[in-house]
Amino acid sequence: MRLDRRTTRSAPPAGRYRWPAIGVTLDSASPASSAPALSASGLCKRFGTVAAIAGVDLQVDAGEVRGLLGPNGAGKTTLLRMLLGLVRPDEGRIELFGQLFGPGVAPGSRRVVGFVEEPRFYPYLSARRTLELLGELDGAGGKRRVGELLGLVGLTKAAGQRVGSYSTGMRQRLGIAASLLASPRALLLDEPTSGLDPAGAREMRGVVRRLADEGVAVLLSSHDMDEVADVCDSVTILASGRVVWHGTIERLRAEAPAPEHRLETSDDAKARELGSASTALEVREDARGGLVVTAERDALDAFVLALAAEGVAVRRLDEIVSSFESMFLTLIEGAAG
Amino acid sequence: MSGRSGVWAVCRFEAAKLLAQWPTRILPLVCILGPLAFGAVLRIQSAVPQDTLFGGWVHTSGYAIPLVILSFAGAWVFPVIAGIGGGDMFAAEDRLGTWKTLLTRSSRRSEIFAGKVATACAYVVGMVALLGAASILAGVLATGTQPLVGLSGQMIGSGRALELTAASWGVSLLPALGFAALALLISAVTRSSAAGMLGPLVVALVFQLLSLVGSGEVVRALLLSTALDAWHGMFVAPAFDRPILWAAVVSLASALVFLAPAWLSLRNRDIAGTAPDERRWRRQIRVVVVATAAVALLAVASNWGPTGITEARLERSIVRSFRNLTVLQQRYLGRRVTAGAGSQMRILPSCLRQGVSTPRKGPGDDWLCTLDVFTASLAQVTVDYDVTVKANGCYTAEGPPAFIGPLTIRDRHGRPHVNPLFRFDGCFDAGP
Repeated sequence: MRLDRRTTRSAPPAGRYRWPAIGVTLDSASPASSAPALSASGLCKRFGTVAAIAGVDLQVDAGEVRGLLGPNGAGKTTLLRMLLGLVRPDEGRIELFGQLFGPGVAPGSRRVVGFVEEPRFYPYLSARRTLELLGELDGAGGKRRVGELLGLVGLTKAAGQRVGSYSTGMRQRLGIAASLLASPRALLLDEPTSGLDPAGAREMRGVVRRLADEGVAVLLSSHDMDEVADVCDSVTILASGRVVWHGTIERLRAEAPAPEHRLETSDDAKARELGSASTALEVREDARGGLVVTAERDALDAFVLALAAEGVAVRRLDEIVSSFESMFLTLIEGAAG
Repeated sequence: MSGRSGVWAVCRFEAAKLLAQWPTRILPLVCILGPLAFGAVLRIQSAVPQDTLFGGWVHTSGYAIPLVILSFAGAWVFPVIAGIGGGDMFAAEDRLGTWKTLLTRSSRRSEIFAGKVATACAYVVGMVALLGAASILAGVLATGTQPLVGLSGQMIGSGRALELTAASWGVSLLPALGFAALALLISAVTRSSAAGMLGPLVVALVFQLLSLVGSGEVVRALLLSTALDAWHGMFVAPAFDRPILWAAVVSLASALVFLAPAWLSLRNRDIAGTAPDERRWRRQIRVVVVATAAVALLAVASNWGPTGITEARLERSIVRSFRNLTVLQQRYLGRRVTAGAGSQMRILPSCLRQGVSTPRKGPGDDWLCTLDVFTASLAQVTVDYDVTVKANGCYTAEGPPAFIGPLTIRDRHGRPHVNPLFRFDGCFDAGP
């Protein structure tokens, strides 16, 4: 599979870490059949008296990037662990590329790879040696691409250092390289940009997008709504071990309530009076001072222009809850209620 | 890319990890330098480690030195080697949080388990082989390649002694592998590197104590520490190999008994993140409780079954040793000894324990053997030996100097020799 000469949805800008623009060659990742890359149905998992996962259905198709969202303790990581064969479901069924996945099957042998939580490695081995050994473990092909992948994740200079001396971000990069080593057909990533600086995170999202464009199915858990909106085609939201919403990003956008903004003006009372006259927005007082305006972008633009026309200066205007966050919070609160 | 990578790939992976860590890198050096240092110390001092089998002969034959080392190493060093090679094999993945890295690759859990077991076993075999080779080299350098006095007092030629010494180390590999399996079990079940590495040594100590407290053959026969004594029979004339076969059975069975729960533990476990301290402690306590219960059960059962230490076996063995060692002593003293001279001696033995309710059987340091010796040239001589008999069938006989001469005797050239009759070791088959 070649990652070059493709238009990605969010091409990464040149940053501190340079993901190569061309030249990353992976094995073919064409799906074997029309079956979804990853399919889970009725998954349940209890730890003692706690139901970590309670009847989750999930599907990720080849070439799709699905975001997995949920508050802490929602079951995202447990779900990823089950899909990677680290945790056995109490009930339910997992299929990888149409084949049943269960005990006795190594996920890597189906080229389903990834990591959960922070990637962990052997501190006494160098990054290069780590990838070489993991490549040997996966088969003959992986070891040949070690240098290429170290370059891809920006670790070429630190390749000889012991992993024990690596920062969290460097280990995250190594985790991504280790995942790509297996020429994945499905990639399961748990907060892959955690620990990366903004430039690295953006480049990482670019790589994920490019892999998806080449047919790799990606399931990506994240707390970052913008990240999900930027890179994902679809979203599954978990709360208390259950799926509370799933669908495409477009549908999420359509269903999401208006975002909330914090507004400070030269005359908040007059601004509130102007706002109450419009049905397209809602203005209320913020307990911390200033106003909270709930409005879509067009209505907000009109409101700001109206304030200016009335001689009210806008001193500060920040988005405090995005549409996605607002939707997310509504769903989570609904599930909790 | 190929599919499953197989056990061999896991072995290479684990071997690379083992060789990248300092304890496993230092151990080969210790296995080489330790015996050489021991040999050097023996070379510069006249004292001998008499409490150990062959200890009295370390200045007489270089082959006694690796056998002395084997006696000590079997009990204490092999468990340490097993602990270093296998004790961290599973627990390290928990300590480093790398199970999720390893188990999400292309190898199945069964392959990872098999690869880890094979690598640990290969490491233990390598270290024991290295220790054995270094011990033989140390013996040859410190003393030389002289013939060795066997455990029946018979002379064993240099070449044969080398073969038997090497074979003894080879036979001892079997229980060493049993200890490796034990280390792997502790490592997998406790998920603690410290427990995995020190556990085999603690268990070895418990085994030693169990073999001391009871006189029954049933429990003793099942202990790995007993299998470590299997090589003794090769140095007895006539040699007996039953303990070697039994050691193979016990070692193999122990390995299976230890590895089966280790595998089930890995197969069935969920890799669900770092367990809370409370849950980890609960697991450790559970393991300690089960281990303590097992030890208590073994201690209670340690008197079960008949003892293999009997008056008749001891008498047969001590007569044979005395006969052979008398010939050797006479040779040292420069007296002409004809072929078959030993067999011309008539010896009537009488061995009994003093002050116990079962005077004709059982291990103990209270045996008294009286030998009435009749020769063609001498009148009847009666020699008393205080004998300490261990549960493994090996004994130490000490005689009063009035009858058998001083500890050191000199040959006609004035060279000192250990008086072979002053204090001698022997072994007999203590099996059922």
